[in-house]
Amino acid sequence: MNDTSTRKTRRAIVDDPVALQVVWTRLIAIADEAAATLRRTSFSPIVRESNDFSCVIFDAEGNAVAENTIGIPSFNMTLSRTLAHFLSVRPAVEWREGDVGICNDPWLTSGHLPDITILAPVFHKGRLIAWTGSIAHMADIGGTLWSADTREVFEEGLLIPPLLYMREGRLNADLQNIIRANVRLPDEVLGDVAAQVAAGETAARGLRDLVGREAIVDLSAISREVRARTERSMRDAIAAMPDGIYGAALDLDGTGEEDVHLEVTIEIRGEEMFLDYARTSPQVGRALNTVMTYTEAYSCYPLKCALDPGTPRNEGTYRMITVKAPEGSILNPRFPAPVHARQLVGHCLAALIYKALSPVLGERIIAESGSAPTLRVIVSGYREDERRYTSILFINGGMGARSTRDGLSATCFPSNVVCGSMETIEAQSPLRIWKKELAPDSGGPGRLRGGLGQDVEIELTGDRAGTLSLLVERVRHPALGVLGGHPGAPSRVRWNGKETGFPLKGKSRIEPGDRLVVRYPGGGGYGDPRERDRDAVREDVATGLVSARAAKEVYGL
Amino acid sequence: MTRYLAGADVGGTFTDLALYDAEKRTLALNKLLTTPDDPARAITGGLAAMQARAGQVVHGTTLVTNALIERRGAPVGLITTEGYRDVLEIGNELRYDTFDLGLERPTPLVTRPLRKTVKERIGARGDIVLPLDEAGVRTAARELAEAGVRSLAIAFFNSYRNPAHELAAKAIIEAENPGIAVCTSAEIAPEIREYERFSTAVANAYVAPIAQSYLVELERRLGVPLFIMLSDGGITTARNASDQPIALVESGPAAGAMGAAFLCRQAQWGDVIAFDMGGTTAKISLIHDGRPHRSHELEAARLQRFKKGSGLPLRLPVIELIEIGAGGGSIAAPDGLGLLRVGPRSAGALPGPACYAQGGEEPTVTDADLVRGYLSPERFLGGRMRLDTQRAREALSHLGGKLGLGVAETAAGIASVVDNNMATAARVHIAEAGTDPSRYRMVAFGGAGPVHAYSIARLLNLKEVIFPLGAGVASAIGMLVAPRSVEYARSLIAPLDSLEWPLVEEIVASLDAKARTVLAEGGIVDDEIARELSADMRYAGQGFEVNVPLDEKALERHDAVALQHAFDARYEERFGRNLGAVPVEVVSWRVRLIAPPSVDEIRFPEHAGCVDTGEALTEHREAYFTELGGFVDTPVHSRSRLAPGSKIEGPALIEEAESTCVIGPGASVEVDRFGNLIMRIEAAAQTAKPKEVTGERKSKR
Repeated sequence: MNDTSTRKTRRAIVDDPVALQVVWTRLIAIADEAAATLRRTSFSPIVRESNDFSCVIFDAEGNAVAENTIGIPSFNMTLSRTLAHFLSVRPAVEWREGDVGICNDPWLTSGHLPDITILAPVFHKGRLIAWTGSIAHMADIGGTLWSADTREVFEEGLLIPPLLYMREGRLNADLQNIIRANVRLPDEVLGDVAAQVAAGETAARGLRDLVGREAIVDLSAISREVRARTERSMRDAIAAMPDGIYGAALDLDGTGEEDVHLEVTIEIRGEEMFLDYARTSPQVGRALNTVMTYTEAYSCYPLKCALDPGTPRNEGTYRMITVKAPEGSILNPRFPAPVHARQLVGHCLAALIYKALSPVLGERIIAESGSAPTLRVIVSGYREDERRYTSILFINGGMGARSTRDGLSATCFPSNVVCGSMETIEAQSPLRIWKKELAPDSGGPGRLRGGLGQDVEIELTGDRAGTLSLLVERVRHPALGVLGGHPGAPSRVRWNGKETGFPLKGKSRIEPGDRLVVRYPGGGGYGDPRERDRDAVREDVATGLVSARAAKEVYGL
Repeated sequence: MTRYLAGADVGGTFTDLALYDAEKRTLALNKLLTTPDDPARAITGGLAAMQARAGQVVHGTTLVTNALIERRGAPVGLITTEGYRDVLEIGNELRYDTFDLGLERPTPLVTRPLRKTVKERIGARGDIVLPLDEAGVRTAARELAEAGVRSLAIAFFNSYRNPAHELAAKAIIEAENPGIAVCTSAEIAPEIREYERFSTAVANAYVAPIAQSYLVELERRLGVPLFIMLSDGGITTARNASDQPIALVESGPAAGAMGAAFLCRQAQWGDVIAFDMGGTTAKISLIHDGRPHRSHELEAARLQRFKKGSGLPLRLPVIELIEIGAGGGSIAAPDGLGLLRVGPRSAGALPGPACYAQGGEEPTVTDADLVRGYLSPERFLGGRMRLDTQRAREALSHLGGKLGLGVAETAAGIASVVDNNMATAARVHIAEAGTDPSRYRMVAFGGAGPVHAYSIARLLNLKEVIFPLGAGVASAIGMLVAPRSVEYARSLIAPLDSLEWPLVEEIVASLDAKARTVLAEGGIVDDEIARELSADMRYAGQGFEVNVPLDEKALERHDAVALQHAFDARYEERFGRNLGAVPVEVVSWRVRLIAPPSVDEIRFPEHAGCVDTGEALTEHREAYFTELGGFVDTPVHSRSRLAPGSKIEGPALIEEAESTCVIGPGASVEVDRFGNLIMRIEAAAQTAKPKEVTGERKSKR
């Protein structure tokens, strides 16, 4: 009854350049429909305004086939790992229609507790045809405020091992009660989980319709072909690079007590790549530890951006890439290491990898980004009307310069969250944001300039103290340039005029009237600044993005 | 009211004029080439040629949207709060493409040197934290004037809550710089979220000089009152439109949607997906009970036309349309993975599809439709253009060779991909609106819409497709039937359980007064005016507002419980559940005043029967239906010769001047008393042989 199923000389969908395109496009659209449902019905401003979620479709064996169009890069990959683990503890044959799995164990999911993973099987005519999955960052997960100063994962909130949230359509009331009793915003958190379940139902409807329409038994054959074509595309891109072994190292500010050193060796061998993080720092006593799933995700994503950005992502994309990190290292920590602020390390892997590959991939990589890792300022407390508030400022530094264009100012990379409105922050919490502007001279000088960071000034108003959590990196280690480009401006935090006496990765009490001035770091430059187009330098001076002095001294104008 | 009313829709290629005779309730039409150097010339010339003096003219224009896309606006300046100079340049900080490291952001309409800051600060509750630095305002304005700025926007932080500083600054600047046009963000879009509000105000300032001079000049040359179609489908006076020209950004598309909605309302079609497929794009909008679905946000001038996030955000009432890169000119080619891709690249009008024989070599959707036998090579565009089937076949054959497909298979493949693209986009859009596709009928318009409607409707499981009479002039009709209306909004975030009612009343009263003044300027008296109150509400903590229509009485009684119920009901309608005990807050209040449209019924001359009494069945030709396994001998009917009550079983083709209605196998079509074609699609497709016309047919004279 369908175009593709009753073609006169019928061929299998997988051999048909029309039918396969149609089905593949439809699968991605189903993931987008699920994302639309999740975004519309979620509570957490983090999901809705900041885009901190993803939706993925899997085949019956658990291979990712399609994902929503603008998701969080890491989530899409960790979802596959979570599903694989679920299936190892609860084999597919034990799942029934209406079952919904839940998990936020950092080691099995995306590396910290606030991200809840929801997975569900999709049945059609009694047969398992697919799985749906989503991850969303919850408004709260109990434990301490989102911060980097925890010492064990137990302090960080409620850990939910792989469990059923719904069994054959009926809510697991015990589990719901446990969650309700452990989080500060129970309605919001359970509302977001319900939104994830609804997103899965939306996707399931679309998948059943697709399977019925195409008269196929499940997604397996299509999945195999889609993955094979994607894999082929990525393999070709890797094969085009010269074989060899490339390496790089990167140092971070660390915890204050312990430094963090990251090191990678990348071997390109034919169509395959091997990344090894041997010699990376051991796991640390504070919450910068990056679990292996997250390490893998943020190792593979930047490779795809540089090598094969145009192909939709699925399980085939990264099959030829092997990622290793020593157990017990900061990139593969052992339970119960603290992991709450794992993005402070994980986001930096893109810079490390691009640095290693700069000799062979110079035109396609970017300089280090000031927006990696994301600098976060979080303030929590009670408003005058007794309502609790927690404001996370999703503000970003500058992206690294590209080989043909300046870096984007104030842009999140490799993560991809939206910065909401400061007016909204002020309307919902006793914060006053005095300033949020591009920071002149913060973009790393280069033939192509790094993106500018921002200067932000925040005051706590009202008459009540609050809790401030800072997640700040790149104070001692700014975003470096590549191929002769200079570093961007480092992070900087001044609290009532002082730059010391408070933790940059920890919590403090903040008093009414206190003012924080935060410099969000700039991106690194690309190439020698003295080779920058002179008109571009003059334009930067005219617009005030670069000072006359820097133009003279650094760019040689 | 005068006897004649005129509608003038100025598009990129054609200017459509419609003249309505209020006594006879009939319509006369005139189509002219647009005169891009002076769009008014086609309007005045075309109306003069119609030899009836219109008492008023309603106009829809793409002037504003084109000025933004082509960056043809005036040099514009911005005066903003100290600390917020770069709001427009920073944007929302998202990468709108996850994997593209080379992506670009739209350049702000105001360059950084022309963005000046002054000391002032309004608090989140509207309190004055820092007084306005008036000397700073004077200095900034002087510097901008010296830099050649003719139009400027004042956009202060938190001004949605208290516009006092913006208004004071405006007064100062107007007093000292009479040559500069000034608008404030709270006048243009008094809603929370600085990026969106600033962006809207600046876009308004950017287009104001050209829009104002155009509208003033046009009204002068017409010599009769001029009304303008707004983005939300209402119309207002040219003077009011000049104050807020950014509200014209979707003026053109809004007219089409209003026309479609009118046809639906007149025929009582309820919930409808309006599907308009033209040369470059397809547009989809939703109509509920004869009213187009409205929204309050959109993006203009996208860098990548079909990528959300790549344009300038605007906050204003607008008819919600989604646009897909799928039209007759969309090019088919293999993608990097060896699969067939169609669009969003388009052959445009030049070189156009291969079958136009104007040098186009890549196969397009139109080429596929021609080779499938759906289009007549002789009667395309009412015979104004001949199509070259051979060239279309060659182009398809070349592409098919790369993909391992024959010519017919390639043509069917192109159709399958493009139809699925459109169905997919429609599904996501409907999912975002929170409803289910199967409750809709489809109304198909545009040159390619009726060709593809059957297949898309099947993909969406729709049972009924309507090919309305008058579809070709929907935009011109839209001008005439649009209500005179204005809407104003203001944000005031407050929990429902602790609303400051006196403040709410004050806001509603001021919005009402402002709207009433505007309508009065258009000669509308109070007792003609209906008022629609609504509020954008959400659960506290959510980031997504739902627009909730409000009961006047609930507001009079200060009845927060009734507001809560209204919200719960609306939320449940859209999302299938409500969340019970979670507190609700109001984000913005809206007042819309509406006066009835000048025209409430249009009689088409065709109502009386067929315009042409010749034999309806004009020929049989081979047409490709995948469901039937290939080409079948298919009857072709002339639409203008089909009488009301006629019934035709598919497969069949029904040709009209601007398009062909494809009636697939398993579908049947009936002509209703208005002359509309109503196609019904059986749940299961049939493989029956082509059938004869079974309904009555006018015999030859």
